[in-house]
Amino acid sequence: MKGCKKCRALLVGALYGELPRKEKDLFERHIAACPACAAEFKALTGTLKTMDERLRPEPGQDFWEGYWDRLSRRMEGEKAPGAAAPAARPLKAFSGSFWSFRPRWAFQTAAALVLILAGIFIGRTVFSPRQAPLEASRTAGQTPAVPPGESDPVLRARNYVDRSKLVLLALVNYDPASEDPYGLDLPYQKQVSKDLIRQAGAIQSDLKDPSQRRLRQLVADLETILLQIANLESENDLEAVDIVKQGVESRGLLFKINLSEMGGDVSGGGREAGVEKTPAQETKI
Amino acid sequence: MTEEKELVERLGRGDTEAFRELVETYKKKMYYLAFDMVGNAADAEDISQEVFLKAFRGFKTFKRGAKLSSWLYRIAYNASIDHLRRKSLVPEAAEEAVLDTGKGGFGEATSTADPAVTAETRLLRARVEKALGKVSSQEKTVFMLRHYNDLRLDEIAETMQISIGSVKSYLFRCVQKLRKELGAPGTPNPLEASDEGL
Repeated sequence: MKGCKKCRALLVGALYGELPRKEKDLFERHIAACPACAAEFKALTGTLKTMDERLRPEPGQDFWEGYWDRLSRRMEGEKAPGAAAPAARPLKAFSGSFWSFRPRWAFQTAAALVLILAGIFIGRTVFSPRQAPLEASRTAGQTPAVPPGESDPVLRARNYVDRSKLVLLALVNYDPASEDPYGLDLPYQKQVSKDLIRQAGAIQSDLKDPSQRRLRQLVADLETILLQIANLESENDLEAVDIVKQGVESRGLLFKINLSEMGGDVSGGGREAGVEKTPAQETKI
Repeated sequence: MTEEKELVERLGRGDTEAFRELVETYKKKMYYLAFDMVGNAADAEDISQEVFLKAFRGFKTFKRGAKLSSWLYRIAYNASIDHLRRKSLVPEAAEEAVLDTGKGGFGEATSTADPAVTAETRLLRARVEKALGKVSSQEKTVFMLRHYNDLRLDEIAETMQISIGSVKSYLFRCVQKLRKELGAPGTPNPLEASDEGL
């Protein structure tokens, strides 16, 4: 029946009474007219009622009455580490300022900062030789080394590949059979695809080095598939989504992306210097 | 000035009584949220106290105009995740193991030997626990926050730092799975469940 999908999207809000007036009316009208959705709603309401049977142990009145004393003792204990907190004067723990712990935290923050700075220093000094192959491979007359970052075309390309991968995964993992109306946010994926397509040309033209040929090709392949995603017509265009999924599979795009992430074949025969993933990139996906 | 605004003002001034009011108002909510997350009463108390300790120490970071309860729920959620990590219940990703507390989970609730509770009710509770064990950790977390802790969908999104669409999605899938578990013909016989849960 028409409107069932919309109704399913409102189901969670309806079950917990969180629908705005307009949507509530829409939902109720649909339920009144659609026996299938009405049955679904009734069944889920029944499920939630059954879940109310779950019991959490009630700690008891004594527990709650003594809660404050235990908490204040703990605070007192933490305020003076090593010294047992006297149970008799719990409230005195709070007689000072709220910021009485500040010096302790200031020291901890300072210590953390020192550790971070030491880590950065060690990282730079110990791992800086990684850039050597790039220096060696650069021919005379070429532009100086670009520090890894936004201006590095390879890093930009990898960032592009990472973001594209997320879009592809969202589509590939989407299963219309799951009947989850929130499973795929197609308008959002289309918007991301459009953004990526806008960057694709510049990224490809920056990958001039022959060793970056395969990475350039991967970006081009991704651009094609992203174009298809960006041009999907509506949220209900499940057939078109299937075609895109088949395209991703037939081109082996996810496999190529994985290879690229491992610094393998796609990038042109091994990990390129200066293309080491930053920790942030490693954890992005 | 609303009650909460007034409380926030007093907390900002370091008012001891205001802090106590905060604890008294939210202690049960923090305790039960932590209990739902870690499934153990002693740990739940520990975590709920940690929430207040963190709120006490870090009140300066509370953004004026924000909702006090949302801020506390977020601290409680993070403290529970940290707790699970520390106890190595979460080997890699915290989210994967949230609430997957195994037999030590909600067993206490189902094993309560209250003679007033009928055998039928106890069997039903065992089935409910079993059904909750079948959903993913994220789905269960969202469900626990919504169904048992009465957080609104937007509050859950804020607490878990995910989109409201994801919250709805997890909740929808969770309720569907629970329905299947509780209502499917293949659902284990309550008598079987009684061997495990009671």
